[in-house]
Amino acid sequence: MRLALILVLSLLGCSGSIDEPVGATGRSPLLVKTPRPFGYVIGDEIPQRIIIETRSGISLQTGSLPAKGQISRWLNLNQVTVKQTGRRYQIDLLYQVFYAPLEVKPLTLPGFTVQLSQGEKSISQNVPAWTFTLSPLRELVVRQTEQGEYMRPDSPPSLLANTQALYGLVASLTVAALIAAYLGYLYGCFPNMLRRTLFKRALRKLAGLSKADMEQALTIVHHALNSLNGQPLFSNQLSEFYRRNPQYLQVSSQLDCFFNYSNRYFFSDGMIAVAQDLQQLRDLCEQCRKIERGSQ
Amino acid sequence: MSTDTQLIDWRDKALQFEQQINQTVIGLQPAVRNIVLAVFARGHVLLEGNVGVGKTTLLRAVAQGLGGDYQRIEGTIDLMPADLIYYTYLNSEGRPCVDPGPLLKHGDTLATFFFNEINRARPQVHALLLRAMAERSINAFNRDYYFPHIQVFADRNRVEKEETFELPAAAKDRFMMEINIDMPGSDTVLDELMFNPRFHDTDQLIGGVTNSGIYYQLNELAQTVQQRIQTSPKLHTYALALWKATHQPQQYGVQLTDVEMPQLLMAGASPRGMSYLIRAAKTRAWLERRDHVLPEDLQAVFPVCMTHRLFLNPMYAYRKEQLLPELIKGILNQVAAP
Repeated sequence: MRLALILVLSLLGCSGSIDEPVGATGRSPLLVKTPRPFGYVIGDEIPQRIIIETRSGISLQTGSLPAKGQISRWLNLNQVTVKQTGRRYQIDLLYQVFYAPLEVKPLTLPGFTVQLSQGEKSISQNVPAWTFTLSPLRELVVRQTEQGEYMRPDSPPSLLANTQALYGLVASLTVAALIAAYLGYLYGCFPNMLRRTLFKRALRKLAGLSKADMEQALTIVHHALNSLNGQPLFSNQLSEFYRRNPQYLQVSSQLDCFFNYSNRYFFSDGMIAVAQDLQQLRDLCEQCRKIERGSQ
Repeated sequence: MSTDTQLIDWRDKALQFEQQINQTVIGLQPAVRNIVLAVFARGHVLLEGNVGVGKTTLLRAVAQGLGGDYQRIEGTIDLMPADLIYYTYLNSEGRPCVDPGPLLKHGDTLATFFFNEINRARPQVHALLLRAMAERSINAFNRDYYFPHIQVFADRNRVEKEETFELPAAAKDRFMMEINIDMPGSDTVLDELMFNPRFHDTDQLIGGVTNSGIYYQLNELAQTVQQRIQTSPKLHTYALALWKATHQPQQYGVQLTDVEMPQLLMAGASPRGMSYLIRAAKTRAWLERRDHVLPEDLQAVFPVCMTHRLFLNPMYAYRKEQLLPELIKGILNQVAAP
């Protein structure tokens, strides 16, 4: 890509003379296109395009092209590209100069001979040498000036604005953290947190119930106790429950009443709930809420 | 006398009976309670345990305490069904005689039939017993004999496996309970068993149990208990959940270590098993002075009524001693009521 860009730029800057065939008549099959012959400094790349129109049956001997690599002490051939479209060959050469001149100095890209062959016959076409001038980067003597060093580094490039990316990063990290927390919740990674709000949630649900919903109210409290116990809690397992949760011993009499009431309500006939029962249930829940919060 | 008063009287008798057995066979209170439940729920009982822990003594004491005609037979590898029905001999005049065997000897008053070492008997004998247990009748001498009062107690020891026949699933299912008898845990009881001469002579010990003579009224009583003790719709839901959990424990969150739960069970509890469970639970509620069944009644009888009805996949069968109790415990711990 970079090469293509350089090529295009260089060709745009070519002098008018490159449009003419180099050292040939109008019938010459060889056309050399070169860029401007001045204004180069050390390290510049110089493209050269050679276009050869051939007759049918004639082919280019690619071996006759200069080899990629070092040409002379100060000249490198970086790239050789041969493109064939029908009978037309397009040879792109990319030179790079490493000469450090003390003043403007003419230099020459060496010429070479291109070999074309037709059967056993071979034809040679000369690519002429091309002269250009190379300029020094600075004066010969390094000066001290009042402003400081004459030799100085380039100003550092200004940084690209990255605030957008930062905002994006923060936003996506937040979303990722939220998703991770939700996933953790789904996988039950926060049992302690959930267990500390069991009766809080139960109380909230109980708030909207009346004595007609006694069954639902009892079920809510049972569920809270079951979740706290980690498995269904029955009245005959209360002692084991107290052993594991000794802080609930202080409501043991109320829990006993609750289980007796629940047993009678669910498993025997003829229980009619009164408003007081629901209030007792709420009281029990309040007590348990205080215990789970650690305030009692 | 009203039925309720009768039930209270009977409960006292039952508790007295239980107490008496507990005094005769010490240190086996849970097993005695289960046997009393089975007796009053009219279910057959299979005892399993190590040798010499008091299985036979316990069953003899129960039979003696209940009264009624009692028969026993020892399971051996060459025992054939005919040996239970008749036996042939030459009498003192040298004439061949055919007399009724243990099953038929008492006719329809046969009460407790005690099959010792049942797993030593052949499958043919098990098959005969199947009918006697389920239908309380057998066919012999070209007619049917009925035993309306029969209660089969069987025991087997779990130490030896040679020359024994595993009870077929169908035979196991006809037992209401399979009760494990373990060594008493308390040192006082063990000391008593070792040094108190009262426990050295079993015959004398059993002879000390008073015959309460209640046996032939048990069928009627059991029927009354089953009718009078109530079960609520919530309890039905709970029992149903327990039943389903014996088929698909994984759906109720039961998880055992190193077990692919969906592949664990080959068969869960049968309808007969569940009806036995409810009978036993009702009897327990009655003994606990209640007129309704609570989940704890079901939980109390669930292990003894269910363990022998669950059949594990052959892949896990070799671990059944460990897995079955864990499974039962897991089911009870996972199924909630309400």
